[in-house]
Amino acid sequence: MSDEREKILKIKDLDISFKTTAGVVHAIRGVNIDLYKGETVAIVGESGSGKSVTMKAVMGILASNATVTNGTVEFSYHHADGSPETVNILEKNKKWIRKHINGKRIAMVFQDPMTSLDPTMTIGKQIMEGMIWHFKTPKKEAWAKSVQLLKEVGIEDAEKRMKNYPHQLSGGMRQRVVIAIALACNPDLLICDEPTTALDVTIQAKIIELIKRVQKERGISVIYITHDLGVVAKVADYVNVMYAGKIVEKGTINEIFYEPKHPYTWGLLSAMPDLDTDDERLYTIPGSPPNLLNEKPGDAFAPRNKYALEIDEKVDPPMFQVSDTHYAATWLLDPRAPKAEMPQELKNRIEKMKKEANGHGSGL
Amino acid sequence: MAVDYSVKPLLAVDGLKQYFKVSKSFTVHAVENVSFQIYPGETYGLVGESGSGKSTIGRSIIRLYDPTAGNIQFNGTEIGGRLSTHDNHMLRTQMQMIFQDPMASLNPRKKIGDIIGEGLDIHHMYMNRAERMEKIQDILAKVGLAPEHASRYPHQFSGGQRQRVGIARALIMNPKLIIADECISALDVSIQAQVVNLMKDIQQETGTAYLFIAHDLSMVKYISDRIGVLHLGHLLETGTTEEIFSNPVHPYTRSLLSAIPAPNPIMEKQRVAESYDYKTSGIDYNKGTDHLVCGSHYVKCTDEEFRRWTQGV
Repeated sequence: MSDEREKILKIKDLDISFKTTAGVVHAIRGVNIDLYKGETVAIVGESGSGKSVTMKAVMGILASNATVTNGTVEFSYHHADGSPETVNILEKNKKWIRKHINGKRIAMVFQDPMTSLDPTMTIGKQIMEGMIWHFKTPKKEAWAKSVQLLKEVGIEDAEKRMKNYPHQLSGGMRQRVVIAIALACNPDLLICDEPTTALDVTIQAKIIELIKRVQKERGISVIYITHDLGVVAKVADYVNVMYAGKIVEKGTINEIFYEPKHPYTWGLLSAMPDLDTDDERLYTIPGSPPNLLNEKPGDAFAPRNKYALEIDEKVDPPMFQVSDTHYAATWLLDPRAPKAEMPQELKNRIEKMKKEANGHGSGL
Repeated sequence: MAVDYSVKPLLAVDGLKQYFKVSKSFTVHAVENVSFQIYPGETYGLVGESGSGKSTIGRSIIRLYDPTAGNIQFNGTEIGGRLSTHDNHMLRTQMQMIFQDPMASLNPRKKIGDIIGEGLDIHHMYMNRAERMEKIQDILAKVGLAPEHASRYPHQFSGGQRQRVGIARALIMNPKLIIADECISALDVSIQAQVVNLMKDIQQETGTAYLFIAHDLSMVKYISDRIGVLHLGHLLETGTTEEIFSNPVHPYTRSLLSAIPAPNPIMEKQRVAESYDYKTSGIDYNKGTDHLVCGSHYVKCTDEEFRRWTQGV
């Protein structure tokens, strides 16, 4: 990472609603995310918390019943001649986004590699498609480049595989192909939407290492959407914890894992099964995520929060600053709030993790 | 949980083979010579990557497939071959299954109450409608759902709730063994914990045994008493959870364990998972025989490999 951090994506006060037959669902409620060149931001949350919707807004591929009611998504990039440009993606029309953003500058890796590949096209053709469309690359050159890409993502017999169809590959291989397609046009930003959720742990480890390696080699930025905090620990520089369409805590990876402030983050961390403890029971966050159809005043997490204060039911907490990079939206951080500590088990576990980390020669 | 290992095993699988004939010249050897036992009230975890044959084993045991070879003793009865009407009836009530995808395994056109009560209807296990309703309500309460949920449809539930319905459906027959085939893989981490806790509670209450099939070792550790590691249809290593986690012998088991990401960023960023490739490892599973490590911990390998793995550490 260079000293001069170059901002490439800035999501500001994003607000998205969906019109459904049951009423208007206010899915994204004021999301702010900044991303700098070469860094990795992870967005963590349960299903339905709005992680994917936020990223779809960035790609301009929101469903037709969605309306952006507020906010901007500013994306900075360089033209071919090197002149910088910043655009608000939300103001552009679909055609423009297709031509200048999708695949070319921002590429996305989806969750299920079976549904995101075209079953009727050879994988070679699918990798070449983007290059030919965006850059008018001659076919021979595109072919050579694709073979190169397949080798880069760790597929053996690349020339032979080019002529294969998706169904001839295993799940892990397919996800590698999807990553190769995403990298085909040399994007500045790679969005990975739960890229390993559908895969096994062993293959997950390989894919994560692949994404990390590619990022390092090419110096691209990555947004990583996942619900698995173990994966986050492996890849991310910064973490945003999302709940019910809002970011409830954001900070550097070490701040989130070693000094979490929000009760929801406490819950998420406690619910991670730990290989070293012998507890009989796993910690769970009681209840289930709220239905955003009937919006209630106050903190959306309050009904599931045993640390909830009276004010949580009336007023939504603002973002309190903990440090320069660490913010959390919980009334517990208000100077007037009673003192609340994270659960003792979690505290013990974090202490243990810190000790382990210290043992490996990194001071905390 | 105290499991009595001195009694006769509830399920004893011996030399199970399951082949699928794809064409005249090609047969898939999905399960190759697998043997293990499950004792009453015990949880046996079966782990392995996709395609390793773990689901196939589950399906062969409950006789969704006809096993190619091998003996399966369940509850004192041989169920590996042709089933008599009586044995079939026993199997269908005493052994139940929970499936992976709770959306796909629940009939979208049936109400939850009817989905849960279907087993009762088929086996005529009630005298009148009031008794049927009562049984359904009891089970709903047991899995943490409200009585009014019985009149709703599957699409009105969240993923975690749907999996609870799947558990309720299996439980209502009061089975001795429940086969849970990747029943938490499709759920969020926090919901997974809820379902695993629920399954543990139910086990304590009713004393059912579980065959817990999963690829996520961290969850398997929480729920299982003993674990079997499966790869390419071979049972490579088996032992108590403690034995497997503290002293993994087979390189494949070690790669599985090291692939689990820990929620500790500083450690995790430096660590590279151990990788394992069957083709380049030079191990031939077909040559291996079971070797005792200690206690109930067995590894399938050749004598030479066993020496190398146990002394190389």
